[in-house]
Amino acid sequence: MKIKTGMRLKSAVCSTEAVVIKAPSAGENILCGSEPMVQMTDAKPDVAQLLEPQAGHTLIGKRYVDEDSGLELLCSKQGFGALCFEGRELILKQPKPLPSSD
Amino acid sequence: MKQLLDGVRVVEVAIYAFVPSAAAVLADWGAEVIKIEHPETADPVRGLASYGIAPGDGGVTALWEVFNRGKQSIAIDIASPQGLEVLMELVDKADIFLTNFMQPARARLGIDVDQIMARNPRIIYGRGTGHGPVGPDANKGGFDAVSYWSRAGAGISAKAPADAYPALMPGPGFGDVQAGMHLAGGVAAALYQRERTGQGSVVDVSLLGSGLWAMQASIAGCYATKSDNIVQLDRSNPPNPVANIYKTQDERFFILGMLESDRYWAGLCEALGRPELATNPLYLNNKTRAENSASCVKELESIFESLTFEKLTSVLNSQEGQWAEVKAPGNALNDEQAMINGYLKYVDYENGAKLPLVPVPVRINEQEAVLRRAPEHAEHTDQILIALGRTEEEILELKITGAIS
Repeated sequence: MKIKTGMRLKSAVCSTEAVVIKAPSAGENILCGSEPMVQMTDAKPDVAQLLEPQAGHTLIGKRYVDEDSGLELLCSKQGFGALCFEGRELILKQPKPLPSSD
Repeated sequence: MKQLLDGVRVVEVAIYAFVPSAAAVLADWGAEVIKIEHPETADPVRGLASYGIAPGDGGVTALWEVFNRGKQSIAIDIASPQGLEVLMELVDKADIFLTNFMQPARARLGIDVDQIMARNPRIIYGRGTGHGPVGPDANKGGFDAVSYWSRAGAGISAKAPADAYPALMPGPGFGDVQAGMHLAGGVAAALYQRERTGQGSVVDVSLLGSGLWAMQASIAGCYATKSDNIVQLDRSNPPNPVANIYKTQDERFFILGMLESDRYWAGLCEALGRPELATNPLYLNNKTRAENSASCVKELESIFESLTFEKLTSVLNSQEGQWAEVKAPGNALNDEQAMINGYLKYVDYENGAKLPLVPVPVRINEQEAVLRRAPEHAEHTDQILIALGRTEEEILELKITGAIS
């Protein structure tokens, strides 16, 4: 699945939904809870659902990034799964103040 | 009992310490402060290392907490039209707008005085600048070490005679918090005026103006004495030996501040166990002690250096003249008098860290400030937008465009 900016995705294993804010420079495999995410319009795959939250599970309104590829997802509905892209865990996006000191 | 500024709404578009500290004062007085931060870069004070204090030291970012306690954070890109509209909806409901963005940036963003006051004519527009709103340096950036401290004369006048260079500021935010207090006071007075007239107003405070205010006795004194600088005390030969600093046997320091020395000299000598000094013709009164200052200081030095800090504390407590231990900033936490009066309060954090903050030092009706931690970046974005009537779907759309975070 070619990932495009604006694409809406859902998890196969939990309630997570996300919007692609920035498409990656390369790569196609976005996982949530270790299972590939699918487009919102697709049928939800028939796989076992997560019963409890994973470490780093999705939080509504938060942005998740993969620094290598530039992929950025915005979580629109939270769930038990954590996000992963091409084998790398997505990281909760943090503000980046310019380094300053006196 | 309601806090002084209960129900007052403040919108802060400001970074670093000066204007944020003014909003912190208003928050301490009970105002609801919404701080606007950039979605990507946030307030740079979150990443500021200063005087050996780095972000995250001790489990929290101390400088961020000091200047932003009790606020809410919403991340808005006000350079985007959708973001600016969100800001303006907050302005509609606000009593006070505070900014230290420079004028060209404010005009470019559409948040200058005319634009904000057109949107809400009852608002108090508090404007913090480096050097004042007019003149050749109106659009020159400043920091307190630059504009409050050095340019206003404090750096040169605080220089010890033996030092080769002027003194640097005593610590982070030293001038910013003074200027911030001035701005908060001005804004409070402008609120009173608005209650009488129905009109908002512009309140101006600059780091330079506040620095000059702090240095005014020195500036007027220099003019009067036809000098560029005040006279720094020579502690081995001061005009008044009991307005001077002394070292104890265990290497701690006391400052004596007995300006009316004739009232206290005999009692001090008695307490120090040297009553005969009080009747010695060399040290009989203020005038002779000035004439024989060097030897009087030597007498007092030999007494202080023979006694411990603990002993001297009880000695000085037993007489009436004014004195204090010369403390390091960290020693303030051991100052019982400060703690009893609520001049320092610990804020507790979810991760188990603690941080002592100084509540606003102006207390109304003996009401203590309620100190709460500073917000995470964008912590209140969703809740503030929902209060503005935006739906979850609309909030999501704003996030997708990058107007908010």
